[in-house]
Amino acid sequence: MSGRVLEAGLHLLDRQLIDVDGRLAGKVDDLELELPPGGGPPVVTAILSGPGALSRRLGGRLGAWLEAAANRLRDGDEDRPARVSFAVVKRIESAVDLSVAKRELETNRLEAWTREHLIGHLPGAGDAPE
Amino acid sequence: MKRLFSIALGILTAIGGFVDIGDIVANAETGARFGMSLAWVVIVGVVGICLFAEMAGRVATVSGRAVFDLVRERLGARVALVNLVASFFITFLTLAAEIGGVALAIELATSVNYLLWVPIVAFLVWLVIWRVKFGLMENAFGLLGLALVVAAVALWRLGPDWGGLLHAATHPVVPQGEGHPTWWFFGIALLGAAMTPYEVFFFSSGAVEEGWSRADLITNRLNVYIGFPLGGLLSLALMAGATLFLEPRGIEPGHLSQVALPTLLVLGKLGLAVLLVGFFAATFGAALETGLSCGYSIAQYFGFQWGKFVRPADAPRFHLIVLLSILAGAGLVLTTIDPVTVTEYSIVLSAAALPLTYFPILVVANDPDYMGDKVNSRLTNALGSVYLLLLLVVAVATIPLMILTKAGS
Amino acid sequence: MRRSWVVAVVLLAGACTGPVRSSSVYESKAGQTAEVVASAVQTALLAVDAAEHDQAYGRYLTQVLVEAEEDAGSAQGVFDGIQPPDDRADELRSHLDDLLTEATGALTELRIAARRGRFAELPELARPLPEVGRRLGDFAEAHG
Repeated sequence: MSGRVLEAGLHLLDRQLIDVDGRLAGKVDDLELELPPGGGPPVVTAILSGPGALSRRLGGRLGAWLEAAANRLRDGDEDRPARVSFAVVKRIESAVDLSVAKRELETNRLEAWTREHLIGHLPGAGDAPE
Repeated sequence: MKRLFSIALGILTAIGGFVDIGDIVANAETGARFGMSLAWVVIVGVVGICLFAEMAGRVATVSGRAVFDLVRERLGARVALVNLVASFFITFLTLAAEIGGVALAIELATSVNYLLWVPIVAFLVWLVIWRVKFGLMENAFGLLGLALVVAAVALWRLGPDWGGLLHAATHPVVPQGEGHPTWWFFGIALLGAAMTPYEVFFFSSGAVEEGWSRADLITNRLNVYIGFPLGGLLSLALMAGATLFLEPRGIEPGHLSQVALPTLLVLGKLGLAVLLVGFFAATFGAALETGLSCGYSIAQYFGFQWGKFVRPADAPRFHLIVLLSILAGAGLVLTTIDPVTVTEYSIVLSAAALPLTYFPILVVANDPDYMGDKVNSRLTNALGSVYLLLLLVVAVATIPLMILTKAGS
Repeated sequence: MRRSWVVAVVLLAGACTGPVRSSSVYESKAGQTAEVVASAVQTALLAVDAAEHDQAYGRYLTQVLVEAEEDAGSAQGVFDGIQPPDDRADELRSHLDDLLTEATGALTELRIAARRGRFAELPELARPLPEVGRRLGDFAEAHG
């Protein structure tokens, strides 16, 4: 994907992530930036998503509280927020369209956990809505 | 022909779904204490909710995304988080009030203590959300809620002095022996009941649930502009009934049973039975809506999958939030706190948070990135801004008035 | 900030038991109590009226009468718990208490009969209510 100069605050942050099947996959809570070796403006290498990422961006007492909640909900070993490589970003319009399915993303961990251990056990969880 | 039918269905559902426990309690208590002198507030509230619900529905229809979803994008994570916390708290309180209301309605029909019904009601609310198709759920409870029309029928049958009622409504005067602050406080509560925040979240999320597209914009407008005002008339019917039967006798309706007195005194057992069905449908329907709204608001802020339009297994966190909210709401009611008291607090706190919840809608509805050519018209913006100013004044006045009047006692 | 919250809680608590500082505050509490009980009495009267004209189901009527009795009883209980500040208040208290006892007595009888399904007896049991309701209303007007 060729570099596109965007105003990160206006154009990327807090946007909805939508996977290749049209499912909602979280928000752009924060961005991972890298300074290119040859100089120049920072390049976005990944999107960070999840309460852990959001709490760092919010900062302050609000962020700390959110981080504590996120830590409790996290899988345990992973200490960093979920990362969506910028390579899988297909298109940026009103939402950020991804080229992969939700289940392949790190952001899906909590969702999958909730499905496997809680909601999935309820009768009718797998039934189509129609 | 089918189109006409679906439009009619939408309007009827909007009418029947308009009234909830907050409106029932607020209109009956106000009518009993202040007659029709605060009827104008209901009109103001109905116009307000029509304005913003149409906006919220339009946003969802045109952009395919619910309002709350877009609030974070447009206003930033911090502001949207404050909005979320306030909205969620109030919606949760309203959910508890509605669950209590359903239990009270069943108690009236069965004479079995309402507390025993609470767990059953909570389970049924969850079950309907879990299993019943969205459209069917909305239509069924919306149409059943039309039973509340019986309150208006009773009025008409009674043949009261319409001129007198109209005069009292159009010439608002604080009744003898009542203080001005208390009058304003009740007015604020009435406004909070008519414009409760969850109504707009639900309306916009519902548009996405039902897959509305641009072709449905007209339906959206019809449902709102015809359905909601007629629903508002039902509220006024409850107020008028209380004015005619309860006010002259100094009866203050702190119980749902007292709200039913005017109807049964005119229409007898049949009227009472129909009214109880209406109470049940209105509160149960609202419980469904507030339960879902608890899920919508959090899921839409954090961006995870929400809605009944996907398999429950595909929106596990959304359904978990809904389930936990219902459990917690039922828990609150089971602490034996009077459900009517919970209702009163929910509508007053709603009033205090109205500008916070309505301001983002006005902002999003003006954004051409989402709305294309369907941004707000100048008239809509003018009216919307006037309302926001009003809601700001109301919000600022709410807590001081509540303290000053000891919550209207 | 904390102090204002305390004040708010105290005000919102509504009825306070324990000594009330001024006679006029006591008087207005007495008036409020009379208002609440008058409302319960009037509600019961409407319910009895509905019973006489067969306008409501037994279960509903019973519920209304149970609630009326509860409202009156708890209002009386709260009021009795307030320490009267002076002699004048004592007089007020005994006057109101007479009315309250009469009202709650009749409401209890009504509740008992309704629970037993003896709706035909209700009009007779409700005989004292219009008068005591009127006097409670007058009391509330005079002291509210």
